[in-house]
Amino acid sequence: MSSSEEQSRNSWIIEDDPSKVSSKHKDGFEDILEERRRTSDLRFIFRSRDVPVYKYSHPRSAQQIKDDVLKSDRVKYAVEQVSESTGTSTKEVYEEVQAILDEMAHAYKLGAIRALAMVLTKTMKRLYRRLYVNEEGINKLRSTIKEYPVIILPSHRSYADFLLVSYLFYNYDLPLPVIAAAMDFMSMKFMGWLLRSAGAFYIRRTFSNDQLYWAVFTEYVQTQVCNGDAPVEFYVEGTRSRTAKTYVPKLGMLKASLEPYFKAHIPDLMVVPISISYDRTLEESLYAYELLGVPKPKESTSGLLKARSILSEDFGNVHMFVGEPISVRQFCDGKVDRIVHSTAPRYIASLTESEEALIQDFAYHVVLEQQKQMIISPFVLIATVLMQNRDGIPLRQLVKEVEWLKRQTANLGGYVDWPGSESAESVVQHQLQLHGNILTLTDEAFVELRQSKPPPNVSKEMQRDIVISTGALQIMTALYRNQLLYLFVRVAFIAVSVNSSLHDTLTLDELYQRYSFLEQLFQREFIFMPGHTRQDFDKSILHLTHGGGLMMDDNRVLIKRSTNKYSTFLSQMFEPFLLGYWVVCQYLLSLPGDIHGKPLPKTHKATSQDVQQLVVRLLQEGVVKHYEIQSLDILGNALLSLTSMGAITKDKRNGEVYLCPNQIVVSRISENLGRYIDLPSIPGSLLVPEVKQVAVPAKL
Amino acid sequence: MPSFQSDDQRYAPTLPKRRQELLKWNGWGYKDSKFILNKDNHVELTGERYRLSGLTMPLLRDWMIQTLGVNLEHKSPAQPERTAADIPIPIKNEAFLLDLKKAGIPFSDDSQDRLFRAHGHTLHEIFILREGMFQRLPDLVAWPASHSDVVKVVALAAKHNVVIMPFGGGTSVSAALECPVTESRMILSLDTSQMNKILWIDEQNLTARIEAGVIGQDLERWLAEKGYCTGHEPDSIEFSSLGGWVATRASGMKKNIYGNIEDLLVHVQMVTPQGVVEKSCQVPRMSSGPDIHHFILGSEGTLGVITEVTLKIRPIPLCKKYGSIVFPDFESGVGCLREVARQRCAPASIRLMDNEQFQFGHALKPESSSYFSGIVDGIKKFYITKIKGFKPQELSVATLLFEGTNEEVAAQEKRVYEIAAKFGGLPGGEDNGQRGYMLTFVIAYLRDIGFDYHCVAESFETSVPWDRVLDLCRNVKDRLHRECKERGVQFPAFATCRVTQTYDVGACVYFYFAFNYRSMSNPVHVYEQIEACARDEILANGGSISHHHGVGKLRQRWLPRTVSEVGIGMMRAVKQYLDPQDIFANGNLIGPGQLESKL
Repeated sequence: MSSSEEQSRNSWIIEDDPSKVSSKHKDGFEDILEERRRTSDLRFIFRSRDVPVYKYSHPRSAQQIKDDVLKSDRVKYAVEQVSESTGTSTKEVYEEVQAILDEMAHAYKLGAIRALAMVLTKTMKRLYRRLYVNEEGINKLRSTIKEYPVIILPSHRSYADFLLVSYLFYNYDLPLPVIAAAMDFMSMKFMGWLLRSAGAFYIRRTFSNDQLYWAVFTEYVQTQVCNGDAPVEFYVEGTRSRTAKTYVPKLGMLKASLEPYFKAHIPDLMVVPISISYDRTLEESLYAYELLGVPKPKESTSGLLKARSILSEDFGNVHMFVGEPISVRQFCDGKVDRIVHSTAPRYIASLTESEEALIQDFAYHVVLEQQKQMIISPFVLIATVLMQNRDGIPLRQLVKEVEWLKRQTANLGGYVDWPGSESAESVVQHQLQLHGNILTLTDEAFVELRQSKPPPNVSKEMQRDIVISTGALQIMTALYRNQLLYLFVRVAFIAVSVNSSLHDTLTLDELYQRYSFLEQLFQREFIFMPGHTRQDFDKSILHLTHGGGLMMDDNRVLIKRSTNKYSTFLSQMFEPFLLGYWVVCQYLLSLPGDIHGKPLPKTHKATSQDVQQLVVRLLQEGVVKHYEIQSLDILGNALLSLTSMGAITKDKRNGEVYLCPNQIVVSRISENLGRYIDLPSIPGSLLVPEVKQVAVPAKL
Repeated sequence: MPSFQSDDQRYAPTLPKRRQELLKWNGWGYKDSKFILNKDNHVELTGERYRLSGLTMPLLRDWMIQTLGVNLEHKSPAQPERTAADIPIPIKNEAFLLDLKKAGIPFSDDSQDRLFRAHGHTLHEIFILREGMFQRLPDLVAWPASHSDVVKVVALAAKHNVVIMPFGGGTSVSAALECPVTESRMILSLDTSQMNKILWIDEQNLTARIEAGVIGQDLERWLAEKGYCTGHEPDSIEFSSLGGWVATRASGMKKNIYGNIEDLLVHVQMVTPQGVVEKSCQVPRMSSGPDIHHFILGSEGTLGVITEVTLKIRPIPLCKKYGSIVFPDFESGVGCLREVARQRCAPASIRLMDNEQFQFGHALKPESSSYFSGIVDGIKKFYITKIKGFKPQELSVATLLFEGTNEEVAAQEKRVYEIAAKFGGLPGGEDNGQRGYMLTFVIAYLRDIGFDYHCVAESFETSVPWDRVLDLCRNVKDRLHRECKERGVQFPAFATCRVTQTYDVGACVYFYFAFNYRSMSNPVHVYEQIEACARDEILANGGSISHHHGVGKLRQRWLPRTVSEVGIGMMRAVKQYLDPQDIFANGNLIGPGQLESKL
């Protein structure tokens, strides 16, 4: 009997020791590097590819795409207008168009794509242990590509992003996307050419006033969207996030890509958000110093080669989550009237205001989806705990805190990449090893922040400056903590409001007022769906009353009974941001006035540099303890947000934008902000910069 | 000036007064003509009227199975003919009936007469005939015999507050003939069929005065006997009436030579509750303020009864020749049609079928008939697919009809085929062209056999600027497929289109759409939702609410967006002046709800 039982067991189960099962597959993800490690790279590179094609697409070469742009009505119209207004002959203007096109266009070639795939395969295997991809997302993407034109919108937190996406598409026999890239890459010698041949096309950063460039750019993007030659890929955040927080979406590229749907050139357009989560970000220390004001190194092939040293480092796993395709038609259904474009040629009229507003909602929807799809590494939890224990923490306590935080994260729907078969302590230990460059585990089983090596572009003096080096370390740690903030920000704003209340109870309406002030203030710092404040608030209240210990009686929050470990933790999590914004207000209020009492306007750049100097002084004097407030990202966001709240007005002089603070509004916001945190007292002497300054070569 | 006597036996109308004796009561066309599955399990068209009659189409059954997922074992037969007991009791206005009798106008409240005039031919209406019953029917049918009879009837209706719904050929596809369910007054269906005479022909000016009840085939036949034609040939020409053409702004397939109805119309008389509206002269053009003809054209029976019309006539052309062009794909075909329009050298008719429709036409090829031989047979097929590299799953066919003198036709042919060659088109022979036009006439019959096997089918059309033709065709078909999928239609839908007319600034596009509704509970409702989505898509693609089918009740929800609220107000003001009592209350164009709220 026992033998038959064993037999039936054996026939089903090959391996029942979890530690012996490979981690190639886990919870819907597949590691696509494992096979590459076992089989020939050459065969992988030269195998034939069965690529899905959009059903209404006419096959075109890269050259034909350029020709079609050149012959297009839109470009013709723009050429005639430019020729008329400048007196240049149309022939000359067309030559200019040709030059723009040559600079812009990709030169998609299968050979180059194979070459890039080779480079990528080798690189990926060196850099990462595993490259996990959700297979279901790939299957959906594959069938979507056949049905409708596709836009790929990856999250952007590393240069590796677009390489990974291309590698992913190569691996799964999907058509390699054409990628809108910034000009910086174009000038790289060999790489510029290789990327162009693999589908990168180059877009200037600013060209809003250049009618001709705008026309060529729009036509070039739209002809490819309409014909579905290949998926079009770009970053809706516009640039790499240096903070690992999602940036507020940029709309230019999205508008150009979505317009063909509004003008009914295409039956629908599918937008696929891809979220790329790194155990460890390649650029972590570069970002940290950049946020402190050290300019980022220029993209160059030699720079790339110098960066080869990173090839010997361990960057852990990467998770790529290919999201559910979002149908633009469904998103817009009933919200816009496409008929409005019926009475003029489609290449002349632009989008309507309601369409532009809808595209903004769409952009927010996409980045919120990207956030939801992110995989949270255990180290993110560790970093979050450490940012609240910046002087270090015993390992045992750290493990306990991390486990507690993991539960809170899961309760909010966050997906933590936690190996089920390992003990919490070994998970934490493993992470400490992976991030040994910023964390150390002492012999006394104590965990502390400690930086091993700054990037090569940081000068010796700066490395020695304690404010800067501590700042870099904390900002680097914050880079991981930041990956958790999106999940907690809404409940935390309630927790902060409750914890700081001086009353015994707070009505829901009062609480909502306090909540929405924070949302408005931090609109550039975190992503909030425009117009959804109330829904978000209600949902967060529900979450907190159900599992966060928020006590209510007759629609009033009972303050004392609602203050608990969770709410304190949440408050501390966001304290640096509240404090940073408050300091910005103090700076603005300290500005000397002119004869009318109005402060002298300064440029955005000069303003953030000056605030950063103030923060440095406050840190040196120990007035504030959060070194991450030095981050130009936080300070810059604060200025932008204050501007949109009317506390700063912009003034354009000689092509430069000057910021003029409105002291009344600033002081009102500052006062309001002060109600949420314990305020340090700033000695008046620190507000006025001394002649001798700490040399921080701030550069934006 | 030749004249026609009303009792002249030579000019007896094709259709009897009780049309249901010759025509199907619950489907399209003649009772004797019907697609059936014969004893060999092949599709056959019964009767002797059409070139396809008595022939089997061996490919059609498999086409139905493969394209629509038809299962021959699963039939969905229509209900038996409705008897008086099944039909709602008419509302009677006794005083009106008495006066009508006194006036000597023939009328009937026979249930079959009423039922025949309770509907047009939209999917919804035919489905009701096959499976249900209308909630509201006309209460009485009257047959005035002349303009003066109509004047009397309209006056009596106004006096007794009776609703008049003019009825011509009954071929409407806009739900224009459906009685408003909430109408509590007596509804009189004013059948114009007895006003069917050609009153005179003016050979000096090439015009003819015709009573509005004449149906197309009778008009053309009678004119032909005198050597003339109007050249107006809508696809419904066998059954539709002159008055109906004017009231819906009809279009004929040969409009390139003869013009659409508004181009053919020289003079028209309409009886309204305010009196008779007409112009005092029959001149080629005049500047006299807004053209009152344009209040009448497209009025859809909401303002009065069109009684007499003067149309342009033309001598019958000496030469009439079909032709066809095979294109590698639909896009090149559209390119060719656009160029033909640009050069303004379109033949009498030029139509472009997409690939699905080409294949459908191919499936209609009858067995062993010397008359029909497809172009893609034998050597030609080899030439087109192998030598020229056309893909059978992509190619597209244009059908052509040339008219004129032999020399004119030869010159036209040369020019059109030259243009076609620039777009990769190859001449495809006459037979293929002719079969293309035949498809138009049999398609309505085909719908009925579809019904028998759980398939619903409908056609709808639009007009669109040239730059949007391709996008519109693609996007609308895609939308149809997608909406079917999303609504749980189990089998792939059939969606196809053709460009049927070319103009300077755009084209007319015609869609056929069918799906197999087996295992669905409410196919008509689903169909209507999908058609509404398709119309939304058409409008979003810069297309119009309708090129020639009209608005009726089916499309009125899109009318305000189409002509603007101010435009609706203008229409309403005209209606208010002409018909303050709302005698012509068929509810077309502007719905009864919209009308009341603003009147």
